[in-house]
Amino acid sequence: MKKSGPVAIKVALYGMDTRSYKTLELFLKGPCRAIAEVVSDTDAEIDIIDADFATAGDILENCRQQHPERPIVLLSLQTLRIANTHFVQKPVTVEQLTAVLTQTGTKKQLPEARAEVIDKPLTEPNQSAQPSVQSVNTAPLPKPVDKKRSAFEANEGGYTTFLGHLSDIDFSDPSQLLNASFEPKNYLLSYVLSAYKVAGHQGTAQQLNSMWKPLLIFPQIRKIWLDADDKQLRVFAGMEQNKLFAGNISLSPVSTDMSQLERAADKFQEMEAFIWKLSIWTSKGRFPVHIDPNAPVFLKHWPNFTRLMLIPDALRMAALLANGPRTPLDMVKLLHIRPQYVFAFVSACHSLGLLGQCQRQADIIVQPEPPKPNKKQNLFSKILHKLRGD
Amino acid sequence: MSQYKIIFTGPVGAGKTTAISSISDTPPVKTDATASDMTKSRKASTTVAMDYGVMNLPGGEKVHLYGTPGQERFDFMWDILTAGGIGLILLLDNSRADPFQDMRFFLEAFGRFIKDTAVAIGVTQMDVSHQPTINDYHKQLQALGLKPPVFAVDAREHNDVSLLVQALLYSLDPGLVGE
Repeated sequence: MKKSGPVAIKVALYGMDTRSYKTLELFLKGPCRAIAEVVSDTDAEIDIIDADFATAGDILENCRQQHPERPIVLLSLQTLRIANTHFVQKPVTVEQLTAVLTQTGTKKQLPEARAEVIDKPLTEPNQSAQPSVQSVNTAPLPKPVDKKRSAFEANEGGYTTFLGHLSDIDFSDPSQLLNASFEPKNYLLSYVLSAYKVAGHQGTAQQLNSMWKPLLIFPQIRKIWLDADDKQLRVFAGMEQNKLFAGNISLSPVSTDMSQLERAADKFQEMEAFIWKLSIWTSKGRFPVHIDPNAPVFLKHWPNFTRLMLIPDALRMAALLANGPRTPLDMVKLLHIRPQYVFAFVSACHSLGLLGQCQRQADIIVQPEPPKPNKKQNLFSKILHKLRGD
Repeated sequence: MSQYKIIFTGPVGAGKTTAISSISDTPPVKTDATASDMTKSRKASTTVAMDYGVMNLPGGEKVHLYGTPGQERFDFMWDILTAGGIGLILLLDNSRADPFQDMRFFLEAFGRFIKDTAVAIGVTQMDVSHQPTINDYHKQLQALGLKPPVFAVDAREHNDVSLLVQALLYSLDPGLVGE
């Protein structure tokens, strides 16, 4: 006898490894009481995408092109607001997923909405996979008029995906300025920095526990151990900890010898390089709230760039700040670079203790002269061009 | 046609010849000879005159890359080599007995040239000897009132040497933008 009851919604899963795919399939069958059935791409009524997957942006774009009428559900660790998609926050709960699937399964998208989907493709597919930053939003800056390429574009890799895009903020307006800042205390970064201090002070290895993966700190060899790749770290770095995880964070000493024996060697990272990239991914182009972008800062010394993840125009910024104090907003003007590059750089230097904030009134009152262009600037540009292999 | 040059200096075995090879368009002209004095313990052969490489720029301009002989007894050549140079790349071998002393020696020897131009410091052999750290070098430099870029460098890696030279150029002109 055929079993009567509601017909399962046919869903297709994207952006998941085999294990995650199977887990979600079983989750839908079991805890969700078979509200949905996982089927192939061609038979599905709803597409479910893990938005934290590295190529989620491409997948989303592809789904929209292939099946513009089909509802899309995004799963992510961080709140996403992407037009014409439905969102379920991870960790996924039965209630949330059931509600969203019921809602999306029973109604079709409106024609206008479909039109919007087609009219507004994602300009930078990978960015949609990145957690959106609440205060610093997604409107891309107009393309720079200057045809000269920044050091980043020419030589420092394709990192715009994690730097975010500041919309047109009027930096003279304090209320708007705040929109480009972040509170480091709310992120994994501050816990890592604190743990590193404790480990260094006590001279013993420490394990930082959270709802995520354990992170081991070895102060003697200045290394950390973490069983996560950069893509995963990038997502977690940008999540505010106090909302979900703060209560679960703890620090415990570990035996150095035992830990080293049991841990995979390839999971060790240089502490300095780790903090640098964690800061950049936490900053996402915003500045730490306790640094005034209108107050001069200086570099105590150059970062060790050959062993750090390079960010746009980093060498130029270091050279400028090594020369003398500048306000972050002056740096933007003097070097003609995007604010988020400066703010990410300032954040990373600050985390490594390389950044000084001017205390002398003279430094604050007297603005230093802009650096004079070198007479051989044209030659130097050619050499740079050559070195970068353009 | 305009001719320019960048000078690579540092003690014996610091990687000057290799660094020049990493960014030169032509195989560098080496003037190594079998070491017969105190350098023997560190290298089987050493540069007794100078190394030479070249970067060909668009428009036919050339940047000559000169490596100074590591042995101090050839220091009479250093002034000649630096005349008209763009800047100095100082390579230091972290595995030597006292790399700080090496650093001070070369910074003093090229003091006038550095004052007129700039210096970028690459520390090699950090995989062999982790100490001193890059931060330790900065502390020493701070005492000398200097704040140049100091990077850990593998002289065989084009990217490492390239970044070091780029840092030198930006030190000379932070407003510089690649063409």
